[in-house]
Amino acid sequence: MEPILDIENLTKTYGNVPNQTKALDGITFQVMPGEFLGIMGSSGSGKSTLLNCIATVISPTGGRIVMEGKKLQSLRGRSLAAYRGQTVGYLFQNFELLDNLTGRENILLPTSLHGVAEKESLLRLNQLAEYLEITEVLDRFPTQMSGGQRQRVAAARAMILHPKLILADEPTGALDSKNGKNIMEKLSGLNRDEQATILMVTHDSNAASFCKRILFIQDGVIFHELRRGDESQQDFYGRILKVMAQLGGGSSHVF
Amino acid sequence: MFSDLIFRNSRRGRKENGLFFASLVISIVAFYIILSLSRQDVMIFLAEMESDAVNQLLLMIPVFYGMTLGILFFLIYFACKYQMERRRKEFGVYLMMGMRRSKLFTMLLAEDFLNNILALLIGLPTAVLLSEIISLVTAKLVGMGILGHRFTLSLPAIGFTVVGFLAIKLAAFLSLSGKFSRQEIGSLLASSSGNEKKQAPAIVYGLCAACGAVLLSAAYCLAIGGWAWHKTGSMLLTLLLGLLGTILLFYGMRTMIALLVKTGKTNRRLHVFTFRQIQENVIHQSTSMAISSLLILAALCCFGAGIGIASTNRQAGEHVLDYTFRDYNTENPQQALPRLQEILKENGLDSQFSQLFEMRIGHVRTTENYEGVFRMNSVMESLRSLPQSEERDILLNNLSYTGFPYLICLSDYNRLLEAAGKPALTLAANEAAVYQDAEFADTVRVTMLNEIFSGCPGALLDGTPIYLTGEVQSVNFVTDRSITLSFALILPDKQFLHYTQGDYDTYINGIMSREATQGASLMTAISDLNGKLAGIGLENVGIEYESYLQNIGRHLFYMVAASYITIYLAIIFLVVANTIMGVQFLMNQQKTGRRYQTLVRLGATYKTICASARKQISWFMGLPVCVAAVSSLFGVKALYTGLLSSRVRETQGEMLMVSAAMIFLLCVVEYIYMTAIKRSSDRFLLTLMQPQREE
Repeated sequence: MEPILDIENLTKTYGNVPNQTKALDGITFQVMPGEFLGIMGSSGSGKSTLLNCIATVISPTGGRIVMEGKKLQSLRGRSLAAYRGQTVGYLFQNFELLDNLTGRENILLPTSLHGVAEKESLLRLNQLAEYLEITEVLDRFPTQMSGGQRQRVAAARAMILHPKLILADEPTGALDSKNGKNIMEKLSGLNRDEQATILMVTHDSNAASFCKRILFIQDGVIFHELRRGDESQQDFYGRILKVMAQLGGGSSHVF
Repeated sequence: MFSDLIFRNSRRGRKENGLFFASLVISIVAFYIILSLSRQDVMIFLAEMESDAVNQLLLMIPVFYGMTLGILFFLIYFACKYQMERRRKEFGVYLMMGMRRSKLFTMLLAEDFLNNILALLIGLPTAVLLSEIISLVTAKLVGMGILGHRFTLSLPAIGFTVVGFLAIKLAAFLSLSGKFSRQEIGSLLASSSGNEKKQAPAIVYGLCAACGAVLLSAAYCLAIGGWAWHKTGSMLLTLLLGLLGTILLFYGMRTMIALLVKTGKTNRRLHVFTFRQIQENVIHQSTSMAISSLLILAALCCFGAGIGIASTNRQAGEHVLDYTFRDYNTENPQQALPRLQEILKENGLDSQFSQLFEMRIGHVRTTENYEGVFRMNSVMESLRSLPQSEERDILLNNLSYTGFPYLICLSDYNRLLEAAGKPALTLAANEAAVYQDAEFADTVRVTMLNEIFSGCPGALLDGTPIYLTGEVQSVNFVTDRSITLSFALILPDKQFLHYTQGDYDTYINGIMSREATQGASLMTAISDLNGKLAGIGLENVGIEYESYLQNIGRHLFYMVAASYITIYLAIIFLVVANTIMGVQFLMNQQKTGRRYQTLVRLGATYKTICASARKQISWFMGLPVCVAAVSSLFGVKALYTGLLSSRVRETQGEMLMVSAAMIFLLCVVEYIYMTAIKRSSDRFLLTLMQPQREE
């Protein structure tokens, strides 16, 4: 099977000589179709930089990112916009819903940007709204919704154009534990039922326990990888916590 | 270090917000131009002849200055607010880093001061230059010649400009910094997005819009029906209805835009987003949109009135005579002309005139009884038999006061006609022609009278039957346009001498010879001759004279005063309205910048978001302009109904021309502003295209 996303020796350096910071220091990994991959790491480890490179928000210093056989760095103008809108769907930590648009209008925003036929998009909208349980808030404005509802509306917006890859940036970061669990259940349900490929950045071990594979990043390099086999989510969570403890301070190089 | 920061900040402020800086420069130019009015060539020229009128106008300048001060205060306030709103996060950071509020205040004040100085350095020379250009152009337009132009720098005008500008700037700055200093650091640091306002049900807004439309219609009816002009109360009512109607209309406009959001196809590129943005702007800024709309309306009305008043004066009769002399020393009126000719000849000025002729005007002196000397019952009967109309009633009323008319001598009048290039009148011994000054001779009424006179109706003059014949005459019989006759009879010379018994006034009309007018404009020629006549001391021998120049002067004064002041106000209103709208739009765009960033992440191209923003600008500015344009159709019509003479009211072509000129001006100004604001918006959106790294 061909990977959806192929990242090879990716580097990103901020600042100029001599004050350079290496945020990513030669990262290589692949994402397979239908995968639910988590990326964990402490603050400043480079996980957000990695996600932003994939989302084309920032451009990497070296290495390459290949999405379905196309090198991202070569995309310009229209094809870049099409990549942002249709190939990847982005789920923000702070939802980033437009507060002067209703839920429905927010979800349909990508379809209007990319000229998708109305009938087709409405069908998809209803399907997603039902699954994400947001049918009754579709005509409300974001300020009239709860945090959980907002994040689910944002998820519907990220999914509306059947993106090849969903990039989720701390999707539970602005939610309480109950709503956080709810959105993770929905995301893993989409991954299971629709074979949606998801790449999620988080430092919430609970949220990460929903993933099938987790990459741990420290100081810009992949430090560890966990795969969830047949074990229960609870057991997987336990393993994640152990690695996090090592990352956090149990390792040999501290003190 | 601190001063570096100030210099850097003020430079950045000017760079980032060119519109704001431009509005400062415009205010300075506006102040100087109104204050330096008295130094304009035309005004200096007019002050010599029409000193009273000019002084009265100049007395009003402080009023206009005050008005400009008030209007520009709002402009500066809004622009300053935008500027500060942009920098609120920066202020928060300064305070977080331990800068004291007083130090922050000093820093802002110093930045502001630097900007003011720079604005003055650019604005004042521009203003002086512009005022000189206006002076030269008006001088050229009215044919004064520009050779005598002297560069004038009005120091008091500069002083008042600087003081006024700094005063409103400081007032705006103090009130705004007071507002900002009360805010907590936390709220300064949080980049505020569009603050939510509580929404009422849609029906409320629908009703408001409907109410607004009704109130506006009522105001329109009152205005064009002419009721508004009956008394102050009804005028106030009309204005209040118009004001309230416009505000309500804009308040309720959100429902209309909500409908537009729903009706449009959702898959049209960013249709929903664009209209939701417009709707939000309308919701947050309905009042200032209404005020902008009213300012534009005021501008259009000022402009319309200016042109209208100027054109009324332009119609003030054709130019035939250059001079009229009056001899107050001679007992015998027949001696007046020879005496004048002799004096002119003695001083070698006789060649200056191609014609000098008498114009004899008198009253009936054959009877001691002054009431009912003249009766024209058959004319009145014929008038009464005409179908009832406003014009007929006016005529009936006016003609009932013609019992003791002026008499004009036929041969004199024929010379006048000859000079005007018109056919001479021939009257039999028992015939008379009617003279009415052009000011009283309304086209409709003259046509009515001409029809009656074509039947040679009979009348009684001091008991003797005479017949009224020919068309109503109205060539000005002396140079001075303020001497007018509402009703006079032109009689053959013999009858004239009989009825006046030799007791009449003699005016001596003069037309300048070609020699005198050669190689100079008429104004300069008359001006020169005036100088020569003054040199020979005509007044000392009891001969007074009035030249056509005084008439031009009066006419010019009205034209210049009316057009200058009204067009000046119109431009100020337009500038202020547009700047307020532009600044508000940009301010809102700044606040909601994150939305555009989200759009970019969702795959919107730069072109798409620019197109959306451009469409928003067109709508946001277009709505007030359209409402103002519709209102101005009624407003200008009302001005014509209420203010201007009936003669102008009839000239439909004139009105069309005024409207066309107004709409053209509006289009040009709006185009310039929209382009500037769209460019500014494009620039801002470009900065959002590269999303920053956020943790």
